[in-house]
Amino acid sequence: MNQKDQSSEEKPSLVPPIAAGLTSLVVPGLGHMLARKFRKGLVLLFVFLSAAGLWVWRVNEAARREVGFAAMFKKAIQLQPIILIILVLIILLYFLIALDAYKSAAKTKPNSFLLWAFALTSFFVLGWQIGEIKPAVLVRDGAKSLPLLMRVLWPWEKAVYYPEELLVGKADVVIPCTPNAEVEPRVLEEGAPYVSVTPGCGNLSEIDGAEGTRLHMVGGNFSPNEETEIWWVDQVRNEFRYRYSGEYVKVVTDENGSFELDVVIPYRVIPSTGGKGYALWQVEARQVASVGKPVLSEELKLSVEKMIETIFLGMMSTLFGVVLSIPVSFIASRNLMSANWFTKAVYLVVRTILNIVRSIESLVWAVIAIIAVGLGPFAGILALTVHSIAALGKLYSEAIESIDPGPVEAIQATGANWFQTVWYAVIPQIVPPFVSFTIYRWDINVRMSTVIGMVGGGGIGYLLIQWIRLLDYRSAGIAIWFIAITVAILDFVSSEIRNRFV
Amino acid sequence: MLEIRNLTKIYDDGTVALRNVSFTVPDGEFLVVIGLSGSGKSTLLRCINRLIDPTEGQIFWDDVDITTLKGDDLRNMRRKIGMVFQQFNLVKRSTVLTNVMAGRLGYVPTWRSIINRFDDADKQRAHAALKRMGITDQSNKRADELSGGQQQRVGIARALMQEPKLILADEPVASLDPVLAHSILQHLENLNKEDGMTIICSLHYLDLVQRYSTCVIGLRDGRLVYQGDKKQILRMTDAEFKTIYGEEAERMGGISGEIAEDECLSDGKEVAE
Repeated sequence: MNQKDQSSEEKPSLVPPIAAGLTSLVVPGLGHMLARKFRKGLVLLFVFLSAAGLWVWRVNEAARREVGFAAMFKKAIQLQPIILIILVLIILLYFLIALDAYKSAAKTKPNSFLLWAFALTSFFVLGWQIGEIKPAVLVRDGAKSLPLLMRVLWPWEKAVYYPEELLVGKADVVIPCTPNAEVEPRVLEEGAPYVSVTPGCGNLSEIDGAEGTRLHMVGGNFSPNEETEIWWVDQVRNEFRYRYSGEYVKVVTDENGSFELDVVIPYRVIPSTGGKGYALWQVEARQVASVGKPVLSEELKLSVEKMIETIFLGMMSTLFGVVLSIPVSFIASRNLMSANWFTKAVYLVVRTILNIVRSIESLVWAVIAIIAVGLGPFAGILALTVHSIAALGKLYSEAIESIDPGPVEAIQATGANWFQTVWYAVIPQIVPPFVSFTIYRWDINVRMSTVIGMVGGGGIGYLLIQWIRLLDYRSAGIAIWFIAITVAILDFVSSEIRNRFV
Repeated sequence: MLEIRNLTKIYDDGTVALRNVSFTVPDGEFLVVIGLSGSGKSTLLRCINRLIDPTEGQIFWDDVDITTLKGDDLRNMRRKIGMVFQQFNLVKRSTVLTNVMAGRLGYVPTWRSIINRFDDADKQRAHAALKRMGITDQSNKRADELSGGQQQRVGIARALMQEPKLILADEPVASLDPVLAHSILQHLENLNKEDGMTIICSLHYLDLVQRYSTCVIGLRDGRLVYQGDKKQILRMTDAEFKTIYGEEAERMGGISGEIAEDECLSDGKEVAE
């Protein structure tokens, strides 16, 4: 390249500087080519054309509904003024190219820094527009995501739950008061919630008329300091919640779990008394109370189970990857495969396949594996194994390529056979890099197995994506915490092992 | 007796490393090979134990043509030839003892060497070799924890395990300081004088050559350009020096010591060109 620069400096321009500048205005870059700066001219032409082309495309994108370019342009800069800035930059670039062509032809060695800076700036501004980068939106609306973020960051409310129990105390009410009413006495278990009313009988409220009998209700053995609802059950076992003046009546128990309350027998269409001349109602106090110790939630248990699955998924795929990539790495090592044209061909083919396999992401391999073996961890293991073989095969073979041939020679010189030579001279040299690469891969595989479930490859990723789609951010938060903890432990363990071995 | 006949080595890339080299080394000599870097010294040494296969020519060692040996015969020949290297070529991560034991591989069945079980006689040999080299207390260290001089002693101990009749030393002191260089060469001289091993050693410094060699050959561009015994090396002329090291070479050092009565290189007639 240096030589070409020198020769172009020595050779004069084909055209006078003015002509170079003017031709550059016709076709950007052509002036440079005429000034014997062919490659620079080609690059500038490409830069200008691609910038202009991208700009036209973005105008079309911004104002799709308009007809005709003028109308589109007008609408586009109205909607996104940045498009106008890009246009100005491209026009400036156009003139700078012409100026640079003039200078190049005039034999002064032009300082093209400004030109390249402009070209780069145009592309970065284009990138800003294409990437739809809107920091204002982040500032304005970002705060909305904070509550969700907080749920993800501290999801542990969902980690445990308190089993709840319905505590019910009942008392019978005879309507209307009838001396010989057959009321079975309630047998109270020791410590069970109870309710008693005095008197135990009365009249219903009448619509737009007299209020029903006021009963004094006493309850006990409930959960302390908890809200308690009052319900009525009529003689045909219809349940309805007690209202007074249209409001539901609630009572809060004291610290002993007792309460006292006056209730008025409510209005009811006068029901049949079944020939007995009276109706038997119940008044109930109902309380939903958490009892007993907190228990681990289903979400937490699922997360733990799937996390274990994830770790094993990473482990198994690393195992298979290592076992299969070791033989592959030997036939992918240049130094072992340079004996003749056949082995060289094998080396080239294997290396090419490894490169292709490695360039396809594990997630894509997982989708392919799912087609083959269905959803579940096995698909994930297959995908990660395939990717591990390719990645480790390359790393291992490079380790084999870089061994010191000296010890191999020395062991051979002692009269050792091939197997002894490999055992005493090759293996000790490749063990440290192999261990290090294996741990590195194990690390990657566990990380990858946390997301491979998102496409259905088993592991915790499946739960995570499902909970995110259900907007259950707390549960998703639990999964994310487990992933973070596992990865942190993994980091620590792998660096420890590396330090020990290498 | 080692007899090299018309040895030529041409590498795959066309480099000619040795051109028609012939000479003879009687048993018990300390032969030093001198010459510039790239003159073919290393290739010559490696042809002798067949780490490199010569393109043409024969090497007779006690009337056996080494160049035709294959398989077990080749390995049995190799185990009688110890080799010491400039870069020591120890397995750095293995212990000193393992490195020394590796010298015995040619005598041990494969399966026993894989599970690292050497018999007591071999262990005794290893301790004797380590003791002789003065590195007994280093035997459980990793090879790369040792200094250069100590590593080269491990290299010699490894060669001793082969119970060799011939030791090839490829610039054994080029990576060492002058004091260590003498120490290592004294060990080799010791093996030569006390145990009667033939030593073929390439060296760079003329004072070392004069001090230790019993006979000398000079290589230049793969050709044998100089042969001399101890007497002759001590009075090497500038012309001879320039034949070996080139016209621009400036002669430095070199001593005129006591001229030993010595006779070697009986078959010294074929000096190329």
